[in-house]
Amino acid sequence: MSTIKLQLNIGTKTLPNPVGVASGTFGYGSEYEKLIGLEHLGGLYTKAVTLEPRPGNGIPRIIETPSGMLNSIGLANVGLDAFVRTKLPYFKTLKCPVIVNVAGSSADEYLRLVEALEEFDEVWGYEINLSCPNVKKGCLAFGSDPAQVETLTASLRSRTAKPLIIKLTPNVTSIGSIARGAEQGGADAVSCINTLLGMVIDIRKKRPVLQNMTGGLSGPAIRPVGVAAVYNVARSVKIPVIGIGGIMTASDAIEYLLAGASAVQVGTGTFVDPGIPEKILSGIETYMKEEGLADMGSFHRFIT
Amino acid sequence: MNQFSAHVTKNREIALDYYELSFIWSADNTPEPGQFITLRCGTGTAPLLRRPFALSSYNPETKTARIIYQKRGEATTLLTAKHPEDTIDIIGPLGNGFPAPSEGSRPVLVAGGIGLGPVLFLAKAMRETQTPPLLIFGARNRYQVPLEIIEPLSASIDIAVCTDDGSQGFKGTAADYLQEHCPEHPEFFTCGPHPMMKAVYDLSRTCRARCWVSMEQIMACGVGACMGCAIAVKGEKPFARVCVEGPVFDGDAVVW
Repeated sequence: MSTIKLQLNIGTKTLPNPVGVASGTFGYGSEYEKLIGLEHLGGLYTKAVTLEPRPGNGIPRIIETPSGMLNSIGLANVGLDAFVRTKLPYFKTLKCPVIVNVAGSSADEYLRLVEALEEFDEVWGYEINLSCPNVKKGCLAFGSDPAQVETLTASLRSRTAKPLIIKLTPNVTSIGSIARGAEQGGADAVSCINTLLGMVIDIRKKRPVLQNMTGGLSGPAIRPVGVAAVYNVARSVKIPVIGIGGIMTASDAIEYLLAGASAVQVGTGTFVDPGIPEKILSGIETYMKEEGLADMGSFHRFIT
Repeated sequence: MNQFSAHVTKNREIALDYYELSFIWSADNTPEPGQFITLRCGTGTAPLLRRPFALSSYNPETKTARIIYQKRGEATTLLTAKHPEDTIDIIGPLGNGFPAPSEGSRPVLVAGGIGLGPVLFLAKAMRETQTPPLLIFGARNRYQVPLEIIEPLSASIDIAVCTDDGSQGFKGTAADYLQEHCPEHPEFFTCGPHPMMKAVYDLSRTCRARCWVSMEQIMACGVGACMGCAIAVKGEKPFARVCVEGPVFDGDAVVW
């Protein structure tokens, strides 16, 4: 194999490589700039941005679980105005694509956020968060109904030509039908999965460990769930699928690619070792050379 | 802050279930008392997350840093098996250290249990400057008092050891000791269990002294990205991240 093509088209743009970092696990990028070379990332998915600043949920917010962790952060973020003022200038200095993760408690909020960010070239595209399990309004409520996903995606589509990625929740009966709603609404890609709803109970205090009672489960424990979801979604839509869930190694990422993903995001894995995304990218390249795979699409012919 | 692979130089039990791990420091910045590292205790997926540990000393000549930890779960049990020449994956230095004491105050350093680490580091740093501090260490019983670590300091600073059962030193908690023996013009620096730090803070209010507290919270990223290690604080924002806004906070800022 003479050349390997790691790039991937999402709508009108091209991701430089298939390994990005997942929203909510990488802040706004600057937090990790001293530890890794951000220029190697095939996409920096920002901490979710909401219209108003949000303080986040009560404490404690996280607890480790077997090969995973449960979190209930509650979309703690600086809000749109401060995001534009204090975070966008930093994104201008970055060489990797910055995909802004957008979350709202009403359809109108999602639209206003995208409208407000549209003029900034440093915003490469959007990942629409229809899947956070830790907030009371919006997100999951939209993300579990294919018709609502389609309507909201279509409204967003009419407001932007930039890549529009819909992030899907696994906490539904049929993730494939939700993905179809996104595709029919005009999404350029879907990313899945967001965290699984979970609970941990302190048996001495006889109450849930997290103040919010439940949280989102992530980490290696959920990887087989994510791979199955990607397998299902990739057979339901023609747009690219971005695989997320418990990826720690190149072989984990390759499972997602073989299941039908064209790119992946590393989330909890970055907490464990910030160098993981770069190691995974290099492992994927090696695998492609060894297996004679030319591009990301060539992973998809094996499992039908 | 850097991520580096550090050679272990020593790992030994210094009191019942309390260990001191020494390793070669190779980050760009030298650590300050109160700052911490995160360390990957295993290599697999359980335990998964890095664990935060406050540094207990740093020797710039040998470039050796130390932490004191308690064996209390899977991760720290794995850590006890590290031997000299093993390497450990470290990110540090992280967070903000203790501030310098105000002029004219007598630094009172109060440590409980595993909170001894950062307080010892601070005590060693203060030994060479201004007014020598008073160090108060509280433990449950004499088996949990790492005397060989504390005693060498007694030549240069005043030390009081307190045990709940009176089996070593003063009988009672570190806060009980302070009630009876608080020096004049104190400024408190404390790390330990939440109830102990709250007691020290309450005392600081009655004697109108400043109180610096090193807070603990479950942590995931350690670098300010995940918002997981929040604690409740007073002021405009209801929460602060222990990893980047802390771990050392002004006691007045904490919602106790």
